[in-house]
Amino acid sequence: MSLTKNNPMSNAEISDTRALALRTIEGASDALIAAAKTVYATPETGFNEHKTAAYVRDQLQALGLEVETGIARTGMKAVLQGSKPGPTVAVIAELDALRVPSHPGADGVTGAAHACGHHAQIGALFGVATALSVPEIRDSLSGNVAFIITPAEEFIEMNDRLTLRTSGEIEFLSGKQEMIRLGTFDDVDMAMMVHTSAGNGDAPFNIGGTSNAHVSHQVRYIGKSAHAGGAPDKGINALQAAMFANAAINAQRETFKESDVVRVHGIISNGGTAVNAVPGEVLYEGRVRAKSVEAIEPIAEKVIRCYRAGALAMGASVEVQVIAGYHALKQDSILQKLFVNNTELILGRGSITVVGDKQTHGGSTDMGDLSAIMPAIHPYANSASGVGHGHDYLIEDYDRAVVAPAKVMTATVLELLGNGAQLARETVDRHKPIWSADQYVSMQRERFTTESYGPY
Amino acid sequence: MVDRADLKSSFSSAVNSRADELERIARDILVHPESGYREVRTSKLVADWFKTNGLEVQTGIAKTGVIATLDTGKPGPHVAVMGELDSLIVPGHAHADPETSAAHACGHHAQIGSMLTVASGLLEASVKKELVGKVSFMAVPAEEYIELEYRETLLANGEIEFFGGKQEFIKLGFFDDVDIAMLTHTGGETPGTLGIGGSNNGMIGKTIQYIGKAAHAGGSPHLGVNALNAAHLALAAIHAQRETFRDADTVRVHPIITKGGAAVNSVPADVRMETYVRASNVPAILNASDKIDRALRAGALATGASVRIQTNPGYLPAKYDEALTEIYRNNASTLVGDDNVITLNHSTGCTDVGDVSQIIATIQPTANATSGNGHGIDYLVDDYDIAVLKAGKAMGLTVIDLLTGDGATGNKIAGAFKASMTISEYLERMRSFRSDVTYEE
Repeated sequence: MSLTKNNPMSNAEISDTRALALRTIEGASDALIAAAKTVYATPETGFNEHKTAAYVRDQLQALGLEVETGIARTGMKAVLQGSKPGPTVAVIAELDALRVPSHPGADGVTGAAHACGHHAQIGALFGVATALSVPEIRDSLSGNVAFIITPAEEFIEMNDRLTLRTSGEIEFLSGKQEMIRLGTFDDVDMAMMVHTSAGNGDAPFNIGGTSNAHVSHQVRYIGKSAHAGGAPDKGINALQAAMFANAAINAQRETFKESDVVRVHGIISNGGTAVNAVPGEVLYEGRVRAKSVEAIEPIAEKVIRCYRAGALAMGASVEVQVIAGYHALKQDSILQKLFVNNTELILGRGSITVVGDKQTHGGSTDMGDLSAIMPAIHPYANSASGVGHGHDYLIEDYDRAVVAPAKVMTATVLELLGNGAQLARETVDRHKPIWSADQYVSMQRERFTTESYGPY
Repeated sequence: MVDRADLKSSFSSAVNSRADELERIARDILVHPESGYREVRTSKLVADWFKTNGLEVQTGIAKTGVIATLDTGKPGPHVAVMGELDSLIVPGHAHADPETSAAHACGHHAQIGSMLTVASGLLEASVKKELVGKVSFMAVPAEEYIELEYRETLLANGEIEFFGGKQEFIKLGFFDDVDIAMLTHTGGETPGTLGIGGSNNGMIGKTIQYIGKAAHAGGSPHLGVNALNAAHLALAAIHAQRETFRDADTVRVHPIITKGGAAVNSVPADVRMETYVRASNVPAILNASDKIDRALRAGALATGASVRIQTNPGYLPAKYDEALTEIYRNNASTLVGDDNVITLNHSTGCTDVGDVSQIIATIQPTANATSGNGHGIDYLVDDYDIAVLKAGKAMGLTVIDLLTGDGATGNKIAGAFKASMTISEYLERMRSFRSDVTYEE
């Protein structure tokens, strides 16, 4: 069959099955939205999504699925087997919240909040699982569907995660990276998920383009504490060192090429302990993003030079721990086309905006890492208001955020694995992965480094 | 033997009879300002005056310096009375040279006046015959530590080794047999007073060059290395050191950018700075200097530029002799009254009188006679009676105390003075401050 024809209805069997699936999801829509809101009410940050994970496990088990739990601490995998053997399609949802204490849905104690809409992904995944669990629908599949619920997509709380890394509980600092390492995706042939978005145009969906790669830096300045009033001459001010580095980084910006889509930003996670003591130790968390890991390299080199200059300026020393971050998202063209076709089929023409392959989203996702080893798509459901990661990011339209993604992903799975999984096989055959999973893991391992500079 | 009081009275009468001439000379120098190591006209004026007044004169010392010695032929202490020849460069000053912008915005013209005042009184025959020892009148070039590029040229040509005139005088041996030195600077404290005591910061000087890489600032800034950003960051880093400077050390670091780029549409690739590092004591100067060097290197490292730091010896901190101060104070009181002799505080400015003060007993009183900000466009000597005549008289009367009665007072002060270092140690130390290092990070 031809993918260029906008005609996913070529197979009558798929068409009937799809109609049943869409009815099933429509019938479950209130429950799906309620599930998303339940997750919203229990925001937990990455690798700590214990309550959320337990809830998701129970819901999937209620559908009769066998759930493997505790993957990368809180991750899960439930495989739904079709009637005949064939490729495995992963439908992914992310468990974790951000940390935005001023968000209206924030946890009063931890400040965790679903300011990135991951809770809607859980609702959508339930929708797909609910529809595909209907026996006559499941029987139409030649192949399997793996529901993979991933921890820790937000690349935050680096110190806590490094502690987990030190204790051997994790090696990589994001959920999908860690699950790739653990082999969770070894029997998966392709993956899809839908992320919510705000202000991404009027159409319900948006697909295409890429995302930035990134790298993280844990920067520790070691100065010398002293009484800030009584004996500042005896101190070495680690905060001044970090502030100098920040100013120096800003001075590099004129050397960044727009085409590299460079983003350099950081926070001071420990800026001193008491105002009357010269800060003797300061922690800075830095991040460098650009369109690819290769484009990041010269930029990161400049940024690390700035960290060193801060230490040199003040006579401090600095330890720079480099943490392997995400890779640029590469959307699979066949999966993307199928997703577009099914969106238009279900929601009508003009219901999805397709952006150019090279258009870079300034942000980053570990779906990028997955897309480097298998066909993947990461469309957006335009359903939120406010600013992503901001205190005002709220899902306004749960039909768009939960129900519509469930329908389109389900229809896409049916098309991939129906008709003898002809399209799924074609997708796998045509895809050229950048790395194998093993190559990816060793490459990521090499990106972790720790260097000390000074004392100057 | 003539009574010392009568002698002082003769000294003062002699000065008073030449008051107009002395003030006129100071005003003449005011309107013919010349900056350091360029004081050709001023030097000739001083030399001619001493020749006219019967003293043998040595000229061309450290380019423009002049020394005229009154040698009594009798054994006794050797006192140096100094005046500085040079002006500043202050465009916009009321008496600035229209071409060079040289201007006496630090009152050195009055110093020449006060030095000649001392000579006028001591050369009076009735005074001169009662003195023992020697008095050297030293008109010294280049007290202001400016025009570093010009002075570096002189250094390269072997015309000078140090940027301060008194430093050159020390090096050339003119202080080898001097026991006591004095110079009166103008000051802006309560008008009509004479100040004494205090101390001064010392300093070192630095010239800095950042080498980056030029590129089109609009078209391809990613290919450039911005030397101005390096300098800008270094300035921020220098400021970040300030909290580590101890109050007691009165550290001053105040850089300027002498070249900040060639064209606004080109990434600056050659940026120059100058700075002083001042403090009240040499260890504090060296400590701050290390921090400044580190901050300068950090600017280079941050941007990927290289930096050349040339450090030149500046001036040593000044410490004034207490016994000599008391003798001066008594004489000043007879001129302006006890209440109008004030004790000076530590000054954070620097002078090469400081170098002299480390090796021989020295005072640098002030004659408070000015308005406006020192080194500013509005700095003017308002009262020439204080700045030239009373300033000169107070020094002259002090010389009389030192060089009469077989020079016992002078000898006592010279004998009690504890030098921080010998002249050869001084030279060695000053030379050790010099360095020229390029850092490629």
